Amino acid sequence: MSVFFATFERHAHGEGLKGHSTHYCPGCGHGVVHKFLAEAIEELDIQDRTVAVSPVGCAVFLYYYFDVGNTQAAHGRAPAVALGHKLANPNAVVISYQGDGDLASIGLAEIIHAAQLGIPISVIFINNANYAMTGGQMAPTTVPGQKTTTTPEGRSRLNGLPLRMAELIAALDGPIYVERVALYDNKRRVRAKKAIKKALQCQVENRGFAFVEVLSECPVQWHMEPVEAEKWVKEVMTRYFPLGVLKDEPGEPWFQLTPPSFQPEKLLEEIGASQEAPPRFSKGFPAHLDPEDIAIKLAGAGGDGAQTAALLITHAAINEGFDATHIPSYGPESRGGTSYADVHICRSEVLSPAVPDPQLLVVFNAPSLHKFGPTVRPGGLILYDSTVIREEPELPSGVQAFGVPFTQIALDLGKKVVKNVVALGAFQAATQIFPEESFLTALRQFLQKDCALIPLNEEAFRWGVKAFRELYGQVHLQPQT
Amino acid sequence: MISLKKDLKSRPKPFLLAEYCKGCGRCIAACPKHCIEYSNEVNPVSGYVPVVIDYSVCNGCGLCLLACPEPYGLMPENRKYEFQLTDPAKQFGPRPTAETEPREIPDQVIPLPETEPLVVKGTYAAAIGALLAGCRHFFGYPITPSTEGAELMAKVLPHLDGVFVQAVSEVATVNHIYGCGGTGLRCMTFTSSPGFSLMLEGISYLIGAEVPGVFVNVMRGGPGLGNIAPEQGDIKLACRGLGHGNTHALVLAPADPQEMLDLTMLAFELSFRYRNPVIVLGDGYLGQVTGRVKLPRYMIQPGLPSWAVYGDREHRRNLICSIHLSEADLEAHNRRLVEKYRLMEENEQRADLYFARDAEILLVASNTPSRMVRGAVKKLRDLGVKAGLFRPITLWPFPIEHLKPLLPGMERLIVVEASNGQLEDELRLALGREEIVPHPPIHHIRHYGGVLPQVSEIVQAVLEEKEVEP
Repeated sequence: MSVFFATFERHAHGEGLKGHSTHYCPGCGHGVVHKFLAEAIEELDIQDRTVAVSPVGCAVFLYYYFDVGNTQAAHGRAPAVALGHKLANPNAVVISYQGDGDLASIGLAEIIHAAQLGIPISVIFINNANYAMTGGQMAPTTVPGQKTTTTPEGRSRLNGLPLRMAELIAALDGPIYVERVALYDNKRRVRAKKAIKKALQCQVENRGFAFVEVLSECPVQWHMEPVEAEKWVKEVMTRYFPLGVLKDEPGEPWFQLTPPSFQPEKLLEEIGASQEAPPRFSKGFPAHLDPEDIAIKLAGAGGDGAQTAALLITHAAINEGFDATHIPSYGPESRGGTSYADVHICRSEVLSPAVPDPQLLVVFNAPSLHKFGPTVRPGGLILYDSTVIREEPELPSGVQAFGVPFTQIALDLGKKVVKNVVALGAFQAATQIFPEESFLTALRQFLQKDCALIPLNEEAFRWGVKAFRELYGQVHLQPQT
Repeated sequence: MISLKKDLKSRPKPFLLAEYCKGCGRCIAACPKHCIEYSNEVNPVSGYVPVVIDYSVCNGCGLCLLACPEPYGLMPENRKYEFQLTDPAKQFGPRPTAETEPREIPDQVIPLPETEPLVVKGTYAAAIGALLAGCRHFFGYPITPSTEGAELMAKVLPHLDGVFVQAVSEVATVNHIYGCGGTGLRCMTFTSSPGFSLMLEGISYLIGAEVPGVFVNVMRGGPGLGNIAPEQGDIKLACRGLGHGNTHALVLAPADPQEMLDLTMLAFELSFRYRNPVIVLGDGYLGQVTGRVKLPRYMIQPGLPSWAVYGDREHRRNLICSIHLSEADLEAHNRRLVEKYRLMEENEQRADLYFARDAEILLVASNTPSRMVRGAVKKLRDLGVKAGLFRPITLWPFPIEHLKPLLPGMERLIVVEASNGQLEDELRLALGREEIVPHPPIHHIRHYGGVLPQVSEIVQAVLEEKEVEP
């Protein structure tokens, strides 16, 4: 039994010589590394649980040879694919085998972030200083002066300088083991074999991310005899890519994942599903506002709490057994900027959730009143924060407006942020859309994970109700149908 | 395989089948005893000049084995196999993995008690749908207006021993899905238009390698960075442009939070049934809109498909790969994919009809614009106009089979959409492919840039028999 397939069936259907020889050119370093990798897998007895991710480049056909689980990835993305495998089955030993165009150019973001994540995968990085499969173009690792098909005069300063990946990876906190090795003589090969085995061992022991850079001969694209290529690695490449261990931390075993839970009770709890029906307080659909469909808009600056107030109205309506929708709309700012909310409450089904012409408008600042005031339908109602809007607004005909000092009341309560809940209280008192208890229930549901905030918010709501009643008493709305 | 043992006598000597030597000479340089040299002639099978070993000098140090790049090149003598030169493919016996045949572990349907409806936004509803469908692995990159779905996953998954990964980019995201989906597990992402563009290359790989995965694209205004308001400008991408090659995937278009949940659940089922990614195409409004969502009475505990590259003995033989080097192989593979697309077209067309059966004016709309159309149809019916809504739930395949019976006697079709005619193109293509000629005239009501067609505007356009073009 070997980690290599007994016949390379995937290589041109294993016909003739292809059944037992690689697609690599004579003297190529890939073959040597493949053998070291296969031996390491065998010695560690991990063949069954190994998943090898083939890259794009000369090693694209890695899956021809290795009798392990195989996945073939897009150019540069092998570490991302490898992480997908590792996180799906933490017991798998996942190898990302990549070349220098793949890893050091197009896939730089993936390798850096996979390395820094530090989840145990083993990366074997073949550095042969060019894009070999596409015909010998410049790679990020091409050394100064090196001739390639895209640096025909030799890599100049304008073409940039070689990227030292092992040093880059070793500088990160995530990896535990980084080494650069070569294949140019017996001593280096023995060292390379050990390094590859160690990279796998780091993963087998659940200790962390390991990266081995291999300076590898590419005799054909370098236009050299294999033995000359060995010499070139030794004499030229190692000047830019010094060999040695760049990082080797003991690292305790840490990586483990519990199998995912599929317990229904647990899932329902997590998504907040309840088997208990919320109490209903409403005697029926608030037809005094509209027989079928009530359109509400709340508008202010980001941070005014228009969205939360809108959500509470929506929750209250659904608790009461009606259909309701809420759509927020904001500017790009998290605070400040504009923020408005469209709410529909329907007896049976919300048909269109947008509110271009509200029946009820709640505004927290003057620009919102200016913008949306004119859109309110005849017979509608506007409720505004009289702390910040001092002048009586101009109104479309048949629209009533009521100012309530939302902000001042909230400030008196000691927390400016509850002004939206004050507004909600005033909204209840002005519209009688649902009973007070209906809103208070929605408020308690909303704050169930921040129970400490419930008393303050309930108080704010009640102050809003009270303030409106004291200012305006009972209001009669005349819906226009 | 190789051990550099001290005991000279027990050390195996190298052994070489000449036809597997490519004559690179690395072993010659590696041999300290100088007992390897090139032979005098070209091997007639390989066309290379192989090396020969002088066993009288060789002490079995094994250094040449380390230097040889070929798996079946130089090997220790004790690894010699019985073989027949006449049949090189059979020389080393059958593939060892031929013994294990991976089993299909079926999904389990777990009943759920009846629960009160949730009040959640569209992206949350889709995330909950994914959880109910058995997804416990999420990969994503933040992008407005889809991110809340990812945020809910980040909150919930750790409590369910699931995995949430914030990827380095959308490009990495789709490749995490390729890996995780290739392991046979249910995984997904949330994204929005510019992010979806970045994922297309990876989606082509998923389709080519037949890897399932669910992509919820909450479409926003484009082109370029555009804005974060609702649009339907990715219909063409999802239906006609899923990366390079002959690709297709089922495209589901929800219209409210309830369908965000239902169709995301369905997306997982279909994705695994067809071994193909599925796109859930929402819009910015739909992602943000909060509404009432009923939970189904069941959830799924996924099994493991037999094709998975799971990383264990049983699945060791498996391969996830989109490469088919020979033209004939790739054509055969494409034929299989095309047949799969045909089955999807035959079996998966879905549509929702609202006052459509007797409609003389049929409005065609999907996603949020379809809700404005519902409002408009109601108003038009109140005015005595026989209007109806035809809402494709699958944008690809376009549900032409559901439309066909409505066409006789139809006065007009009006496509209402938040794009420059991308839904209309799907309709026209479907009519054309079915050779439905003549068909009723097709008018349109269009907005883009984040503006959605409004109820009053639709009513007015229908009454005045006008088209709307921004």
